[in-house]
Amino acid sequence: MSEKVLVEARALQMYFPIGSGFTGKPRKILKAVDEVDLSIKKGETFGLVGESGCGKTTVGRSLVRLYQPTGGTILYDGEDITNLDFKALAPYRKKLQMIFQDPYASLDPRMTVSSIIAEPLKNRTDMSKKDKDDRVAQLIELVGLKSDHALRYPHEFSGGQRQRIGIARALANNPEFIVCDEPISALDVSIQAQIINTLEDMQQRFGLTYLFVSHDLSMVRHISHNVGVMYLGCMVETAPVDELYSNMLHPYTKALMSAAPIADPELAQKSQRILLQGDVPTPINPPSGCRFRTRCPYAMPICGQERPALLDVGGGHKVACHAVKG
Amino acid sequence: MRLLDIQNLHTTFDIHVGHVQAVRGVTLHVDEGETVGIVGESGSGKSVTMLSVMHLLPDYARIEADKLTFGDLDLTRASVNTFRKLEGDEIGMVFQDPMTSLNPLFTVGQQLMEPLRIHKKMSKTQAKERVLEILRTIQMPDPESRLKQYPHELSGGMRQRVMIGMAIACNPRLIIADEPTTALDVTIQAQILELLMDLKKRLNTSIIMITHDLGVIAGMCSRVMVMYGGRIVEEGTLREVFYDPKHPYTWGLLRSIPQRQGERQRLVPIPGSPPDLIAPPPGCPFAPRCPYAMRICNSALPEHRSLSDTHKVSCYLLDEGAPKVEWGGRAR
Repeated sequence: MSEKVLVEARALQMYFPIGSGFTGKPRKILKAVDEVDLSIKKGETFGLVGESGCGKTTVGRSLVRLYQPTGGTILYDGEDITNLDFKALAPYRKKLQMIFQDPYASLDPRMTVSSIIAEPLKNRTDMSKKDKDDRVAQLIELVGLKSDHALRYPHEFSGGQRQRIGIARALANNPEFIVCDEPISALDVSIQAQIINTLEDMQQRFGLTYLFVSHDLSMVRHISHNVGVMYLGCMVETAPVDELYSNMLHPYTKALMSAAPIADPELAQKSQRILLQGDVPTPINPPSGCRFRTRCPYAMPICGQERPALLDVGGGHKVACHAVKG
Repeated sequence: MRLLDIQNLHTTFDIHVGHVQAVRGVTLHVDEGETVGIVGESGSGKSVTMLSVMHLLPDYARIEADKLTFGDLDLTRASVNTFRKLEGDEIGMVFQDPMTSLNPLFTVGQQLMEPLRIHKKMSKTQAKERVLEILRTIQMPDPESRLKQYPHELSGGMRQRVMIGMAIACNPRLIIADEPTTALDVTIQAQILELLMDLKKRLNTSIIMITHDLGVIAGMCSRVMVMYGGRIVEEGTLREVFYDPKHPYTWGLLRSIPQRQGERQRLVPIPGSPPDLIAPPPGCPFAPRCPYAMRICNSALPEHRSLSDTHKVSCYLLDEGAPKVEWGGRAR
């Protein structure tokens, strides 16, 4: 891992208009991601955790420019790619890839495995037909499938094998940065470990940089170098992985970590669960100030008035909370 | 006292491609006031086992058992009517997905009142009062106005609370919870599990917790059964299964979960994928994926061996002549 920052988001903002009326003007705005800052170093895995609806997937999709952000800046390798149009993005598409959550929905059921994996190579003019076939065969082997799988269709495979097909497709163009959007949450426990090991191998071999989006806190601890915690469209805490797991500062991070079930009866008995009251508010009309204040046990008057900034408390550990002032 | 006793349960689905042997000889029991966990991967037969007990399977399912009793009731000979009386009254069920298990056309109040009106023959006013009491028990904020709401107006966690409310409405002796928190976020999951534990303490209900998450089991059960390929491969108390497991599949499951503390090590996955239950292997279902498989493992099903009153394992490695393989502990 180098110190060079590969992907950076500054005040990234993604609003979705919903429920457009007769005039075509949106009636409401869903603030999926609101001013998120993050930076990912070359060769590292950045884990992004949070509950459903917190905007972690939207951040991932914005970073690879599957969305056009409504505000903020995305820097890739120092270049501003926030507002590049379709054509100007073409060279970046090769470098930015994505692995999706649902291996049943993200593969075209009418395409064979080899044509799925070959699809990203379709527009490559620098490769001959034979080069492409060789590359596909190589990829199939690389991710741990067998060569006689090439002409089969997705429905013939198990979830874990399908996720391997998804990984092979993402690797086809030798990318630099891959957004792994909950790549293991649809898989069985014993298969999850297989996929995680494959992802780690690929990272070592090709020096890949990952954004690993997940709600599985122990898996994030296992695979990540740096971790960010999101709540309702905002980044509430980010730190190097060991620092975050041993010294969490934000009340939401504490609650989230304590709520995750521990697969060890003795530790589970000892651990104290911090139970949060109620549900996550809607991102259409989020609370003023700190968005966590409606469920926060330490909420103060200032939390309703002012939004806490993500401040460095030392050692790359950043927290957005009025109660934690460095 | 034994509440539920199942012996040698076989459930087979006759479908056009063949006979899917989803459950192959499951023996288990649940005592009064006990929380038992069934853990396994998708297709291991954990849900089908409980659905067979409740006769909630389609017509093409064949259910056979040597013994199937609930309390004093023999379920092998029970009529459909008996089951309908049992369900919702003495046995409450909580399913994985609250959105598809609740009826979208009826209000929460109507659905919660239904079991009370049918099983307890309560009048509307009585039932309503009891429902409000239940809603308070399950810590539903603002219970009066919830009564008139429809399931789609509630969040996932609230819907699951309603499901639990329906399950406990008639003070059942047993709650079968089939992956009750899988569709929920961790903070909501913690709320729901806490609620179940609390109810169990207050009502002394037995709970069968079906899940694929060993963490959920570790947090709330006293005994656990590990299922694989339609069979229970290992069962025992929490301590026995988590700290002294004997079956290679249990080892694999425990090793493929990353640890929360200490040094990060490479995960040890279980190679391959689960067996096809239309043509299950003649021997141990785990043999094709087992690193210690011997010749006999592929040809004949291993017997259940008792290591203690509670700890039972079905594996040839426990035979006298078998090579000694020790569990090296979890990857720490």
